[in-house]
Amino acid sequence: MFNIPRNAIYTSINRRKFLELGGGTVAGLGAGGLTLGLGSTITRSPAQAASSDDAKWKQYAGSKLKFMSENTPPSFAIRDNIKAFTDLTGIEVEVLTDDLPVVQQKVGIDLQSGKADYVLNYVQDKPIGAPFADFYADLTPMFGDSTLPQDSEGYGDEAWYPNFLSACGRFYEKGKIIALPYDAAVACTFYRQDIFEKYTKDFEKEYSKRLEFNENSTWKDVTDMATFFKKLKESGQDVPYGYAQHHGNFAWTTQLDIQRFLFANGRWADWNIDDIYGSKTPGKTNWGDKQSVLMMQKFKELADVCHPDNLANGTLELNTVYQAGKIAMQTQYHEFAASIEDEKKSQAAGGKTAYAPCPKGETSWIVNGGQAVNGTNCGIGGIGINGNASEDLKRAAYIFAIWSVSKNNQLSVLKGLGGTPTRKSVLADPEVVAARKRPTKMPNALTFDAVYDLGIKDPNFVLGPKIPKSNEYYSIIAAETQKCISGGSNAEDTCKSIQTQLDTLHGV
Amino acid sequence: MASRDIVNYNTPLSKAFNWFARIFVAFYLVWTVLPIFVMIVSSFKDLLEAFQIPAVGDWLGARVFFNFTPTFQHYIDLFTEQPFGTYLFNSIVAAGGSAIISVVLGSMAAYSLSRTDFKFKNDLFFWIISTRMAPVVAVLVPLFAIFRSLNLVGSLPGLILAYTTFNLPFAIWILKGFFDNVPYAIEEAQMVDGASRPKALISILPLVAPGIAAFIVLCILFAWNDFLFAAIIGSGDAKTLPVATKELVQPQNIQWGTIMAAGTVTTLPMMLLGLVIRKYLVTGLTMGAVKE
Amino acid sequence: MGPDMTAITKDTTTLANLFRVRQILDNVESKPQSKVSSDGLKFNPLPSKSYYYWLMAPAILLLAAISLYPFCWMIYMSLNDVQIGSIKWNNFANYTKLLHDGKFWNGWTLLLKYSALCLFFQITIGAFLAIVLNNSKYEKIIVTTLLMPMMMAPVVAGMVWYFLYNGTFGWYHWIFQSLGILGAKSILADVHTAMWGIVIVDVWQWTPLITLITLAGLKRVPQDQLEANMVDGATPIRNFLSVTLPNLYPVLLIAIMLRFMDNFRFIDSAMVLTGGGPADSTKILPIYLFDVSFRFTELGRAAAIALILLIVTIVLGKALVRIFDRQQPAATH
Repeated sequence: MFNIPRNAIYTSINRRKFLELGGGTVAGLGAGGLTLGLGSTITRSPAQAASSDDAKWKQYAGSKLKFMSENTPPSFAIRDNIKAFTDLTGIEVEVLTDDLPVVQQKVGIDLQSGKADYVLNYVQDKPIGAPFADFYADLTPMFGDSTLPQDSEGYGDEAWYPNFLSACGRFYEKGKIIALPYDAAVACTFYRQDIFEKYTKDFEKEYSKRLEFNENSTWKDVTDMATFFKKLKESGQDVPYGYAQHHGNFAWTTQLDIQRFLFANGRWADWNIDDIYGSKTPGKTNWGDKQSVLMMQKFKELADVCHPDNLANGTLELNTVYQAGKIAMQTQYHEFAASIEDEKKSQAAGGKTAYAPCPKGETSWIVNGGQAVNGTNCGIGGIGINGNASEDLKRAAYIFAIWSVSKNNQLSVLKGLGGTPTRKSVLADPEVVAARKRPTKMPNALTFDAVYDLGIKDPNFVLGPKIPKSNEYYSIIAAETQKCISGGSNAEDTCKSIQTQLDTLHGV
Repeated sequence: MASRDIVNYNTPLSKAFNWFARIFVAFYLVWTVLPIFVMIVSSFKDLLEAFQIPAVGDWLGARVFFNFTPTFQHYIDLFTEQPFGTYLFNSIVAAGGSAIISVVLGSMAAYSLSRTDFKFKNDLFFWIISTRMAPVVAVLVPLFAIFRSLNLVGSLPGLILAYTTFNLPFAIWILKGFFDNVPYAIEEAQMVDGASRPKALISILPLVAPGIAAFIVLCILFAWNDFLFAAIIGSGDAKTLPVATKELVQPQNIQWGTIMAAGTVTTLPMMLLGLVIRKYLVTGLTMGAVKE
Repeated sequence: MGPDMTAITKDTTTLANLFRVRQILDNVESKPQSKVSSDGLKFNPLPSKSYYYWLMAPAILLLAAISLYPFCWMIYMSLNDVQIGSIKWNNFANYTKLLHDGKFWNGWTLLLKYSALCLFFQITIGAFLAIVLNNSKYEKIIVTTLLMPMMMAPVVAGMVWYFLYNGTFGWYHWIFQSLGILGAKSILADVHTAMWGIVIVDVWQWTPLITLITLAGLKRVPQDQLEANMVDGATPIRNFLSVTLPNLYPVLLIAIMLRFMDNFRFIDSAMVLTGGGPADSTKILPIYLFDVSFRFTELGRAAAIALILLIVTIVLGKALVRIFDRQQPAATH
C-alpha cells in the first residue's frame, strides 16, 4: 500500500527474527510476547473522504500510542499539552523520555528488528534520522489522504522555515519525507552588549576597530576579541573571558562547533556529498586537505584564547558559564535565549545580552576558493513514524504528528516553555512579531532576526553530513579536535588522523 | 577482643606519628563528608545562590557558602511538578521486589547446594557467581532484546527481574556460606522426631534469619543504586530515582538545586539502611570472603 | 531433641555465633552423609538428591534464562556483520578489526591505568586509616561516618562531584585553584587531569570499603604474638612487617580483586563525569563499549568487545574464587 521500506524489512528476516527474541528460547517461558506494537492499541471507526473534520480527527478514538522522545523541553512541552490532543482525538499518547544514547539504542533495536514498540519517535535529524532513516515510514502518501485530517497550511517546504523540512525529513532518497519538523536548535551568537560597550575604546586603541558584533563580524574578529579579553584578564582586571565554545564530552556539539567554523570559511564540507540528502556511501573524506589543516590551526588558536574550561563544556555547561557572567560571548543554540533572559538564573539577563548570527568566514583564511559565509548549523527535531507499524497505527500516529507540529501547538509551547517554532505562520503571529523586540514575553523570539532571517538561509546553512555512521563520525571528530586543542597533536596530524579514521570507517 | 593499643611505645617518633595520624584522620573525615554536606546544603539554594563562589585564594570568602535563604522549593518541585513520588515508589518496589525474590529463590538454591554434592557442583557454583561478575554494559543489549520480546521493558516486573540478575547470584553465594555453617545434625534431629523435610528446612531458618534479613537490605542497596539497568530496561513506566535524578541534567536546562534535592532523596534512605546493617556490610560487600 | 541441641539453637540466633557453632561442631558434617541413611535408623527417609534439585531448580533456571541467552547472543552477534538491514557471517572480522582499533587498545590501557590508580590510593589510604583507627576510642563512630559515600548511588556521586569540579561554580575547583593545584582550567577539562578526576571520585567512594576490610583483617592478627615480640624488643615497624602484614595480606588481596572487578563492571560515575573525554583520555574500555553499542549501534563489534571483556572478567573472577576458597578457613577462625 504505502511506500514503506518493506524491502528493508523482508531482506533482513533472519536478523529480525533473531532480535525479535532470541531465537525463541525464552519465548517458551510463555509470556506470549511476540505481539506487534507493544503497548500501542488501535480502535477504529473508519472515516470517509466526505466525513466531517471531527470524525476524521476522532476515527482512532480509544487508541493508545507510545512516543519515544529525548528528555528535552520540547518533549516535556508535548507531554504537558497532551490532554488537548486526547480531547480532540480520543487517542491516548504516552510520552516516554530518555537520554539521547538510550533513545538511540531503544529506537534502534525497535526499528531494526521490525517491530513498533514505539510508534512515534522524536527524530533528532543526524543522530537518529541519519542512521535509521530507512526504517521510518514515508509520510508523503498520507499528506494527500482525504480520509485523514490535514493541516490547512500543508506540509511542503513553503510551510516551514527554509531548510527545516529537508534537515529532518529528507534522507538518502528523493521524494520521501520521514519526519515533520517539530523543534529547532540553530546556532547563533550571544554576546554581552554592556561589556562590549564598556571596553570598546580600549579595544579600538589596540585593534583600530570597534568592539562590536554584527552579521559581518568574522571568526578572525572573534579571535581578536577573545585575545583582547584574555589579555585584560591576565593583566589582573576583573573581566570575563571573551569567548568559549563547546568542546566537552557531548561529541555532537563539539563536531557542530568545528563544522560551523569550517563551513564559514569557504563552505568546506567533510565529504563531497549532497548536503540535503546525504549519502550512505560518502567515499573519501576531504579531511587532510589544505583548507582543513589551516582551519584546524586557526581553531586551535581561537581555543587558546577562549575560556580555559572549554573542554569540560557541552551546550549546557557553556550556557551556565555565560549565565554566570564568566564569558562575554558564546555561539549557542537559539533555544537557550529563554534561560539567558531568566533573571532568576542568569546574570546576563535584562537587556545585557544581544543576539547576532554566527560569525562569518575570514576571506584571508580561505585557500580552497570558496565563499565566506555566516556558517550556521542546527539540530532539527522531527516527529517520525515507525515504518514497521501497521497501517492503522501509522495513520493514528500521523494524526498526532500533524497535530504536534501545528501552528497552534507551536504557539502555545513558545508562550509557555519557550519553544523554537518551525512553521512559518508562527512567526507571522502578531504576538510573536511584537516579542522580537524588548521587552518580551517570549525571550527566544529575540534571536529570530539572527536565526530565521539569516542563519538558516542559503548559503549560510549547512544541514549535513547525513551519513548512516554519523554518531561514530561525531565521536572521531570530537576526540581528535580535543586532542589538537589540548596540544596533544598538531593541526596537520590531527586532520590526517581524522582522515584515516573516517576512511577506515567507510572502508575506502 | 582486648582493647589495648598495639603501640605502647612513647618515643618522639611515635608521638609524631600519632599526631600525623590524627590530623590525617580528621582531614579524611572532612573530605568524606564534605561532598555529601555540599549536596544537602545546595539542595536548599537558588540557582544564583549556588553560583556564588569567592575569589580564588580568598579563603575567608568561603563563608558565602552559607550566604543564602534556605528554600524547600526544590523538594516541593520534585514531588509536585515532577512525579518523584512515583519514582520513589518504583525504586522501593523494584529494589524490594528483587531483594525478596532473590533471597527466597536464593536461599532455596543455597540450602540445596549446601546440603548435597554432585559432579559439577563446583562448576555450577562458579557459573552462578560469574553471572554477577559480568560487566553490566556487556550484557545490557542482549538482555534488552529478551526483555523486550517478553514485554517486560519499561515495567516494574521487568526491572525486578533485571535486578534479580545480579542479586540472585549474590544471594545464593552468600547464603550458601550461612547454610554451610548450620550443622546438618539439627535437621536430622528434627526428622528423627518425625518432621517432614520442608519442615526441617523451616526449623533451621531462624538460625540464618538475621543474616537473611541483612542480605535483603544489601540486595535493596545494590538494586536501589543501580543506574544502567534502570535506564535501559526500566525507564518508561519503571523510572527509578537514580535515573530520574540523572534526567534532571537536560541539554538545555539544568537545575542544580533540584538535582541536589533529588540526590539527597535518593541517598539518605540508603545511608540509613547502611547504618542498620552496619554489622554485615563487610561480609556482604566482599561477597562473604571477609567476616568481621 | 537433646538438651544440648536446644542450647545451641537458642545460642545461634546471631550470625556471629553461627561461626562459633561451626567450630564447636567442627566434626559434625553439614551435609547428609549416605552412610547415615544406610544405618537403617527409623525416621523419615533422608532427602534424596532430587529433592535438592527441585529446590534449586527455580533459581538455576531463572539465572540460565537471564545469563546463558545473552551469552549465546553475544557469540552469535560477534561473529556477524550486523548492519542496518542485514546480518551476515563475516569471518571473524569483528575480532580482526579490533586488532587495529586504536580505541579498543586505548580502552584496555586506560582501564588498567584507572584500576591501578584507584587501587593504589584506596589500598594505601584505606589500610593506613584502618591501622590508625584499629582499637581507637572512636573507631566505631569514625568508621560509620566513613561508610556514607559507599551508600550513595554511583551516578548520584558522579553528579555531585561534577558539581564540585565545575569550573564556574564548583567548590572543589575553587579549593584546587586557591591551593594553586589547578589553574582556571577545571580538572575534567584537561587531558592530563581528567583521569585524576574520575579516580578521585572512585577513591572517595570506595576507600572506606578497604578500611573496613582491613579492620576485619586486623582483628585476626594474633595479639599475643605481637606482645611476645615486643617483649623480645621488636620495634613496632618490625612487628608490623613481620606479624601484621602477613595477616593482612590475604584480606587485602581479596579487596584488590573485588575493586578491580568493580572497576570493570561499573562506569556510572565516569559516564557522568567525563563520558570518556576529553580527547579519549578517560575512555576506559567499558565506556568505549557503551559508545559502540548504544551511540554507534554497532551490535556486532559491540558483542565482540563485550565478549572479550566478559571473558577477561570471568578469568579474573576465577582467580578471585580461588583466593576465596583458600581464605575460607582463615575467615572463620
